[in-house]
Amino acid sequence: MNNSASPNSLDLDRSLVIAGSPAASFARLWQALWVQPHVAPPLLEMCRLTLARLHRDESELSAANPHLEPGALNSARRAAVIAGQAHAAADFSSMEKAVLQFAECYGLDAQSIPDETAEAVKVQLGEAGLVFLIEALGCIDGRIRTARCLRDLARLAPVPGVS
Amino acid sequence: MTTRARASAPEQRTGNPIRDSALARVPETVDEIVTLNSAVWKRSLVSPALLEILRLRNARTVNCVFCKSVRYEVARADGLSEARAAMVDAGYEHSALTEREKLAVALADGYLGFPAGITAQLAQRLAHEFSAEQIASMFVALMAFNFTSRTAVSIGGMPEEPLPVVLMALADDD
Repeated sequence: MNNSASPNSLDLDRSLVIAGSPAASFARLWQALWVQPHVAPPLLEMCRLTLARLHRDESELSAANPHLEPGALNSARRAAVIAGQAHAAADFSSMEKAVLQFAECYGLDAQSIPDETAEAVKVQLGEAGLVFLIEALGCIDGRIRTARCLRDLARLAPVPGVS
Repeated sequence: MTTRARASAPEQRTGNPIRDSALARVPETVDEIVTLNSAVWKRSLVSPALLEILRLRNARTVNCVFCKSVRYEVARADGLSEARAAMVDAGYEHSALTEREKLAVALADGYLGFPAGITAQLAQRLAHEFSAEQIASMFVALMAFNFTSRTAVSIGGMPEEPLPVVLMALADDD
């Protein structure tokens, strides 16, 4: 069941369209994240869930990602990520564990990502893959933050056009 | 913060700071990031001075040494002198910043909080001073500034000590 409230990181662009061309550009960047060769969409979704867990954002955690093929991320793996247990789960690959560990560190403090954590991603994804992952995490985290602020604004001081 | 860069910039220089950074390693996104930066500065629905205040508050919180040292010429021309830029710091509430400028700082702090959030009082003040379109525009700018500064910090290679203030013009293809 999808109990997510809008906006969330996945449907945020509908709320920002009133900002004009900068919002349109950010929306295109968001779309581009899901069709690139560096990180597969299911793993990117697990990164989104990792950041949502760190933000303790129930709306994000329950949102369905339209960029995933049906069944691309099974419920057991999704639950393990949401519980913060992916690092100990047997059915996560070394690449997935490296990426999710990086996402966790990025979400907690981008300044304090250990060199070995970054190096583990670089070994798995290469230099371009590492840069892409950093970009993607920044976009996802920013959208989670903005969606949360917009939900607060809609609840506390509704303004026509902001939702 | 790691002072060793985790990814390298391309050897060929273009004059655009984004294209000349490690972001050029990802051709699937770099053009849109350049477009986004340009759109934020040229087509946002709030003034360049307000944008610069959002950017500087973000830079201070993220502790991006490069971002903290930069001042955009377009914001300086819009009236954000160095003395006023220095007010975007602790104690800004009691500074000579205008109400809208103080609200921009508070909005940035709400966005940058962990978790992010807007208080009831701030929501009321924002709704009184800004239109829905302007609030949305400021969030897009914050996302762009936060995304790029955290990318720079994560890639690393920055000095740990503060850099001197440098004025920056929008790049030719911005």
